Amino acid sequence: MAATDLFDLAVLTLMIACVISIARTRDLVKAAVLFSVYSLVLCLLWVHRSAPDVAMTEAAVGAGITVALFLYTIAHVGRHEK
Amino acid sequence: MRPAIAALVVGLVALVLLAGLIALPEPGAPDSPAQRHVSAEYIDGGSQAGGAANLVTAVLLNYRGLDTFGEVLVIFSALVAVLVVLASAPQTGSAQPAQRLAPSPVVAFIVRLMAPFMAAFAAFVMISGAHLPGGGFQGGVVLGAMTILLAVAMGRDRVARMLRGGARFWVRAAAPLVFALVALIGWASTGWWFGLPGPGPFRDALVLALDIAIGVGGAAVLAGIFLALSRE
Repeated sequence: MAATDLFDLAVLTLMIACVISIARTRDLVKAAVLFSVYSLVLCLLWVHRSAPDVAMTEAAVGAGITVALFLYTIAHVGRHEK
Repeated sequence: MRPAIAALVVGLVALVLLAGLIALPEPGAPDSPAQRHVSAEYIDGGSQAGGAANLVTAVLLNYRGLDTFGEVLVIFSALVAVLVVLASAPQTGSAQPAQRLAPSPVVAFIVRLMAPFMAAFAAFVMISGAHLPGGGFQGGVVLGAMTILLAVAMGRDRVARMLRGGARFWVRAAAPLVFALVALIGWASTGWWFGLPGPGPFRDALVLALDIAIGVGGAAVLAGIFLALSRE
């Protein structure tokens, strides 16, 4: 297996692991942070696929702004899923 | 019973998606339809016609100018929607105030230390978008993320005071306004909507103004959504 395939495989495995953890956790702060990790890992995939402009947007919006908005909302509605 | 149905639905959807995935050509395969028809055209004439040495920027600004204009309108509409919903929400003075998010001194210091560098990077991405990957939108999201970080570290109200009254109104609407203006100028000078005048300093100035307007306007929109949501 080529090194580039190995990279894709590692990134995709990490992303799937993040998604499963997000679905399983009842702690919303944990879910928001895991979503940020998911976006950062996805950002690596964009760079690898030679799309640095998409990667930049993904890092700023997906890993940054969205999670900040989530966290502010969680501060209002409570940390644990009922 | 319900988990079994859910598993069945997930399995079916996954099957459809995988079937579609298998039919896709290899990424970057030279004989795929996308490479043979559109790409060749773009690579041949893209940087000439598109107004930017970077091909992605050229395609976004010229061949897909209308799409990009639509995207700019979408994020502007998102801000308008948030403001309308929050402004019409009943004032609940008795509601429990949200827990204050007081960041640790370490986080606050790091954010204030890094902010000038982030702003410089955002400006670089906006200005150099014509010949490097990036552009107005990418610079704008970096600038917007910086503003939100500052709002978290220094307190929301200090950041909200930076831009007030009429200036705030115009800056938030800058991206769609300038884009529409550039489309009009293009129409006047080439006869095509979103067309760009021939190569030269005038076209470079137009592209630069467009990139800066999309960047600053986009950042103001993102920061505006955050500031509206974080209002007590």
